[in-house]
Amino acid sequence: MVVVDVNELTYTYPASAKPVLSNVSLKVTQGEFLAIIGNNGAGKSTLCYAMAGFIPHFFRGSMHGSVHVAGKDTHVTSLYDIVQQVGLAFQNPFNQISGAKFTVYEEIAFGLENTGVPRPQMMERVEKVMALTSITELADRSPYSLSGGQQQRVALASILVMEPKVLVLDEPTSQLDPVGSREVFQVIKEMSQRGMTVVMVEHKVEWIAQFADRVIALHDGQILLEGKPADVLASPLLEEKGFGLSRYTQVARQAVNRDLWPADRPLPVTLQEAVEGFSRVSG
Amino acid sequence: MTTSVSLYVAGDTGFHRLHPITKLTITLTLLLGGLVIPSAWASYALFVGFILPLSIWGGIWKQLIRAVWKIVLPFGISIFLIQGLFWGEGTTLFSIGPFTVEKEAIIFAFGSVGRIMLVIGSFLLLALATRPDSLMNALTNLGLPGAITYIVVTTIQIAPRFQSKARTIIDAQQSRGLITEGNLIIRGKALVPLILPLVLGSIVDVEERAIAIEARAFNSPGPKTSLVTINDTRLQKLFRWTLFLLMLLLIGFRIWWSLT
Repeated sequence: MVVVDVNELTYTYPASAKPVLSNVSLKVTQGEFLAIIGNNGAGKSTLCYAMAGFIPHFFRGSMHGSVHVAGKDTHVTSLYDIVQQVGLAFQNPFNQISGAKFTVYEEIAFGLENTGVPRPQMMERVEKVMALTSITELADRSPYSLSGGQQQRVALASILVMEPKVLVLDEPTSQLDPVGSREVFQVIKEMSQRGMTVVMVEHKVEWIAQFADRVIALHDGQILLEGKPADVLASPLLEEKGFGLSRYTQVARQAVNRDLWPADRPLPVTLQEAVEGFSRVSG
Repeated sequence: MTTSVSLYVAGDTGFHRLHPITKLTITLTLLLGGLVIPSAWASYALFVGFILPLSIWGGIWKQLIRAVWKIVLPFGISIFLIQGLFWGEGTTLFSIGPFTVEKEAIIFAFGSVGRIMLVIGSFLLLALATRPDSLMNALTNLGLPGAITYIVVTTIQIAPRFQSKARTIIDAQQSRGLITEGNLIIRGKALVPLILPLVLGSIVDVEERAIAIEARAFNSPGPKTSLVTINDTRLQKLFRWTLFLLMLLLIGFRIWWSLT
């Protein structure tokens, strides 16, 4: 079942002449974990806003094409109805703290209060999501007294607790250390395996290769490549366009020049793939 | 670093547990009492008779007295000096050189100081023992628009962030050679590169924050629920209505007084 359907989307911000997105079409099926990569200004965040309904409901500007989420056309559906289906978390965790609450526990409950969830269910859901994102011990702290990484987990928990059908994440691990990033990826993977559809903008190529089902590379507002992580992330086209490659791909590329990498094998993206390839050469 | 500019002192006394609206009603009644009763002594009587005992009950009397003292002392000194020396005519108490001090002036100054003590004391009684968010929630339940509640509570929390952000900008600009100390002109010039990033940055922040709360259904048209429950009792309701009646009586008394 297609849950997110972006059809020939072109969007220009109000004060700008050049479109940020031109003719972008993509479909995401239920339970899929789609990663979007791209350089600064490629239109990744704009695409997130469009999928979460903030374009056209929050940002003015000109939008052509259509976006359907959970069967609803975002053009004619109210933002309130869209946010019940699509959860959006973005990069700067500090600005995602509502400011209306004095503890992490209450902060996470904020969205549930707004949608009128009865108190007993609210507490159950908040506690469940805090355990899932490993922030239970922060429950009574002020959200403003937390570190960037902790705030980022709170921001993610605050969206997950609303149990959206689609989760749109714009660099949700930017403030996290490697261990923290891995944990967040694992949580998100688990949510997608339970049937939540995930679209995630991310730079951490190795994690994408390990967890995502499909990757889209966005370049200058257009889709440059699309496919399985292993195919897309090691593509020479990416390097040509100035994308960062994983360190394993970079090492293997050097190895190819010195005949140290098996010619019939695609370049590796993850540690696992690199180990397999190199052990075949040495063995 | 402080996490909010709220005056609230956490505690678990009976006074803390009173419904926020009950505490608000007490504050309003005290204020009205002090302003309406036509005696310089009234404010002092209310302060000693109600504010002090209640603050002791709430375990906040230290903070309360310290704050009242800090504000009232400088004000009191200046009001006694100015009124005492420049009152004009009246019953002369004593003279110092060319200045005479009148009895009426002292009574007036005494009354003013009392009123300020009452106003600050009764406000602090509420602010020190009431969580600002629960007060605002209670007011929302009474019909205050949710957006107003949001603005008040976020301002309390975001003001310290704003300060620390300003500090970061000042440090950054100074490290790039901006001179911020010196005479008025130098300081004035330095203000532009400090204010501009702060204001522009804040506008961006506001946009993101608006998206974030919108993504959490802040503008939902349906009924909302609340995680924090505020305990209310029959007795407190009765007490609030009694105070409310008392306030009406006080106002009535004041009108009657000024008519006769």
